[in-house]
Amino acid sequence: MAKSFSEVLLELAIDDPRICGVSCDCWGFIAPLAQRFPERAIELGIAEQNLIGVSAGLALRGKIPFAIGMNPFVTMRCFEQIRTDLGYGSRNVKVIGGYGSGLMYGGWGCTHHAIEEIGLMRLIPTMVVLMPSDAYETEQAVRAVAKMDCPAYISLAGGTLPIGKPESERSYELGKASLLREGDDVTIFGTGMTVGDTLRAYDMLAEKGISARVYSMHTIKPIDNETILKSAKETKLIITIEEHTVIGGLGGAVAEVLADAGAGTPLKRLGLQDVFACMVGSHKDVKERFGITSEAIVDTVLKTLK
Amino acid sequence: MDKDRQKLISELEEKARKIRVLVVKMAGMSDCHTGGSLSMADMLSALYFYTMKVDPQNPLWDGRDYFILSKGHTVPALDAALAIKGFFPEEAVTTHLELDSIISGHACAKATPGIEVSTGSLGHGLSIGVGTALGIRMDKASNRVFVILGDGELQEGSNWESAMSASHHKLDNLIAIVDRNRYQTGPTEAMMSLEPLADKWKSFGWAVKTINGHDIGQIVDTLDSLPFEKGRPSVIISETIKGKGVSFIMNHHMARFNEERLKEALRELGEEV
Repeated sequence: MAKSFSEVLLELAIDDPRICGVSCDCWGFIAPLAQRFPERAIELGIAEQNLIGVSAGLALRGKIPFAIGMNPFVTMRCFEQIRTDLGYGSRNVKVIGGYGSGLMYGGWGCTHHAIEEIGLMRLIPTMVVLMPSDAYETEQAVRAVAKMDCPAYISLAGGTLPIGKPESERSYELGKASLLREGDDVTIFGTGMTVGDTLRAYDMLAEKGISARVYSMHTIKPIDNETILKSAKETKLIITIEEHTVIGGLGGAVAEVLADAGAGTPLKRLGLQDVFACMVGSHKDVKERFGITSEAIVDTVLKTLK
Repeated sequence: MDKDRQKLISELEEKARKIRVLVVKMAGMSDCHTGGSLSMADMLSALYFYTMKVDPQNPLWDGRDYFILSKGHTVPALDAALAIKGFFPEEAVTTHLELDSIISGHACAKATPGIEVSTGSLGHGLSIGVGTALGIRMDKASNRVFVILGDGELQEGSNWESAMSASHHKLDNLIAIVDRNRYQTGPTEAMMSLEPLADKWKSFGWAVKTINGHDIGQIVDTLDSLPFEKGRPSVIISETIKGKGVSFIMNHHMARFNEERLKEALRELGEEV
């Protein structure tokens, strides 16, 4: 059973005294750390710019801070601090989007949608950008970035996906897409919370006799060029699906790889098509209205392959 | 005692004069944020040649005091102080802005030995200072963190997030210095008033002292009295004159000197040209 973020953080902190937690009104994530090492858990209140600046200062003193805020705010309000103080400054800070990846906040409004988080973070030179899809990948992602000396962003995920394998048989390599289903007709890349949609789409497509290859693209940067180009060669269509604007997100990243290589394989990018998801309703309702579902994947595959 | 003190003050005044000379030489080469560099020269002299523990041979020495220039555009004065202190040869400043020079247009930690943090965008340095001070406390160490801010810079809201957190976390190893030269691209109080500035810092939980930032004796006494209160961060509002030392560029934000102006400026600073 995968450990939660806060459990892994504490475990890593026991082994490495440089690790500390910095919270932007997200105390729950570092509460276990605080209980064991009170001086290494810092609350800063609702102030994202200060969160990142303070974390940069801790890194200057040789610490490895995990700086936690809410996804839409910790990637936008303090974008310049992440870009300048962590990226340009080469500070070993791990920025954690703790709540509200993508459209998770559903009908709570566009202020709380993190539909630019991937695009903004991957724009920053040297930034590692991770979108785990479930608790297993989250634990692996946190362990992986702790070992790297560079700034990184992780959009946290929880829950268990019907991967079909026990965790003990799964593997995770940062920078390498995880193959979840094998197939030859179409490749589907999900990231973060849309990986569940890709797995459902696999089953629905199988019923129609279409064989899909499904990946969790848990690492957005560095992007897995090799897997993308291999899929372009071996399948007839590539689908990306993300709770994000298709401009600059997973779809954008995959499109860049295909275009750079001159691969002619069709690509369909599911996600927000240059719109705000402005509506009242549940997370599921929002995804349905904006075509970020397993049904949308199946429709797109059927239309494109016919 | 008095004699020693007089000697110290004279030495620091001479270092400040030398910082100004190097700044003016940089302004003789290329565009330069001259005004705000000259205004903080006396403070830099006292910090680098009296108060702060630094090792030019080992810039990343664990026991050093940290200096963060939040007003990163005035890096020429810092470069000058670092050169005089011996972090790199003084001749290097004459490569100001040249291809691959170690002397950059804004503070660049990757280019210049002794520069702790890359700055240039205003409103970043104090937060980094807060984090550094917290890290020092985690280590139960006694290093101190000095951050010089511009007064116009305080119009950036991020500073007040940092200020709030520094007093909340009782960081008495953190010292902010506001280079209060009252001029940004125009007069600060007219553009966006900061007054009552000392009260603002007090209300954010800081211990405040306002001084004449060109009076080395006052600067030294003030630095000697740090922290002003136990359990509180200290802020020095250092009242200064933008362009101090060169009469014809008072209140100039940027200045580049032609040969004639350069000579004139150097003469005013007591150089033989």
